[in-house]
Amino acid sequence: MAKLSRHTFRSNTLPAITTVGPVTLWLAFFVAVPLIYVLIMSFCSLDEGYNVVFKFTLANYQRLLDPNYIQIYGTSLFVAFITTALCIVVGYPFSFLIARTTSKHKALLYMLVIIPFWTNSLIRIYGWRTLLGTNGWINNLLIMMNLTDTPVEFLFNRGATILGMFYCLFPYMVLPLYTAIEKLDKNLLEASADLGAKSRSTFTRVIIPLTMSGIFSGSIMVFIPSLGYFFVSDILGGGNSDVIGNLIERQFQSGNNWPLGAALSIILILITLLLVKLYQKLGGDMDNLGV
Amino acid sequence: MKKEVFTTKKAISLATAAVIAAGTLTLTGCGGSTETADGTATTLNIYTWTEYIPDSVIEKFEDETGIKVNHTTFSSNEDMLAKVKSEDDDAFDIIQPSDYMVEQMASQGMLAELDLDKLTNLSNIGEQYLDPSYDPGNTYSIPYLGGVEAIAVNTDMVTGEITSYDDLFDPQYASQIVLLDDFRAVIGMTAKSLGYSMSTSDETELAEIKEKLLSIKPNVKLYDSDSPKSALISGECSIASVWSAEVALAMEEVPSIEVVYPEEGAYLFMDNWAIPAGSKNVDAAMEFINFMLDAENMALILEEFPYMCPNTAAVELMGEEYAANLAKNPPAEAIETGEYIQNLDNDTLAIYDQMWTELKK
Repeated sequence: MAKLSRHTFRSNTLPAITTVGPVTLWLAFFVAVPLIYVLIMSFCSLDEGYNVVFKFTLANYQRLLDPNYIQIYGTSLFVAFITTALCIVVGYPFSFLIARTTSKHKALLYMLVIIPFWTNSLIRIYGWRTLLGTNGWINNLLIMMNLTDTPVEFLFNRGATILGMFYCLFPYMVLPLYTAIEKLDKNLLEASADLGAKSRSTFTRVIIPLTMSGIFSGSIMVFIPSLGYFFVSDILGGGNSDVIGNLIERQFQSGNNWPLGAALSIILILITLLLVKLYQKLGGDMDNLGV
Repeated sequence: MKKEVFTTKKAISLATAAVIAAGTLTLTGCGGSTETADGTATTLNIYTWTEYIPDSVIEKFEDETGIKVNHTTFSSNEDMLAKVKSEDDDAFDIIQPSDYMVEQMASQGMLAELDLDKLTNLSNIGEQYLDPSYDPGNTYSIPYLGGVEAIAVNTDMVTGEITSYDDLFDPQYASQIVLLDDFRAVIGMTAKSLGYSMSTSDETELAEIKEKLLSIKPNVKLYDSDSPKSALISGECSIASVWSAEVALAMEEVPSIEVVYPEEGAYLFMDNWAIPAGSKNVDAAMEFINFMLDAENMALILEEFPYMCPNTAAVELMGEEYAANLAKNPPAEAIETGEYIQNLDNDTLAIYDQMWTELKK
């Protein structure tokens, strides 16, 4: 009988480099280097021609403490919080429904969430403007039905911004929720019922804890972008409800102050890190966060 | 600082230009020669705003002079400046800086002095556009196209009379106004309404400007730089303070919209021809500028890009209707009383940015 032998590599480095190397390089070039560049940029100064010069300063971080900026961080966090809450409240039952349905149209239902992704979000946001404008369809309908005499001012306020954010980011909540709910073990639900739990306590004490990773990763994927989606607050908010993203955009465009823009971006990065840390502290599983 | 205006006409012209370009490529492939009199081919590298010169006009220049044009484009003054700085000194022969950028580049010795005697068509430019504040005596630049921050009023919806930027601050116009999402334009307008310069760095003036600026908040329904005309056309807003070309397009859709040039003097911008100091083809570049100053050539450009045109001879060629359209062809008085913005130093820029943030929070 032939002797079975396990192949052994002469060195451990080569296989490691060939398997992990490409991904590491990719991450280093496209994630680490740009982030480090942003961090360095945030400590740079400007010369009189608005060019970035590599002269260390803390002035950019000082300007972040401007009371107006702080107020905008506050409203931006508020907008992001409401958006996320809305997404959970609407998204959870929706995801539950598609994940647990036995209908043969399950795939179709799932597709319905993804299809809007095929159209550019800018165009969809402009679409809302046509719907909600003073002479828009919804107002015309309301007037036709005699529900109102004068058009309702839907647009160009914080509410419209939140609506736009919710609309744009809803799929990012549904997809991780769907994955988490899909993974739910039916036996556990049966066990819970066998042990005498009513459906309500099964939901709060079994289903919710088991799908927490989905809720949290969905929340992060909704919360963070809604701090930065400046085009939504521009188009639907009419520039009347700036979010942190607007502040960053302005410094890279008309404000011509890249170091200040970089310092503002660092805030966003810090908020993201904080949220992930919080999730970890609460006992969240990092493996489930990646969706 | 060309402002984007998109029209169907422009879309058609782009399509046509593409077809013509394809056609010319095939033709030149059949052995076209672009040699000058002394037997050496000259190539002119021009660097302009995107969507600002029809390809057909550049081809006309190539056909008439035998000079080959290599055309690249930019979409902001700052991009252009960075590129001109980073490339070789002779990378570009023609560039197209806006008013304040001419001043900035000239002060850094980046622009060549122009021999105005060679520009035989210079007389086509209206008096009011020559000798501008940003380039006294047109030492470094020749105006190409520009615009004014004008006021648009829908007379069906507005009963009060509006003649100035100051009128826009009247509380009776609550939630009726669309403004540009541009801090220099809005703060500049406020400064003008108080009789100050749009680029003031005086602290007491700035404090006064800030107080007045914040008082316009209840009147502004939205800020939009991309297409402020939409809010006017849909009836969302009845008053606007936006680029004149936007007003012109809104007037075409809604006849009750009128254009008003503020009596305090308006915010002007002008894009210019200039030659970088390092150019080795100054003669050909001057020939190009002179070609662009020709009334007929400029009229061809205006048909596709109806910006404010300093070439009065070209405007005459466009016909009476065009000349009489106050939004397309601003009155000389508006230009004489108007003001170009200037660069701000970093500290002043921070003050402007701070009050703008406070307005928009």
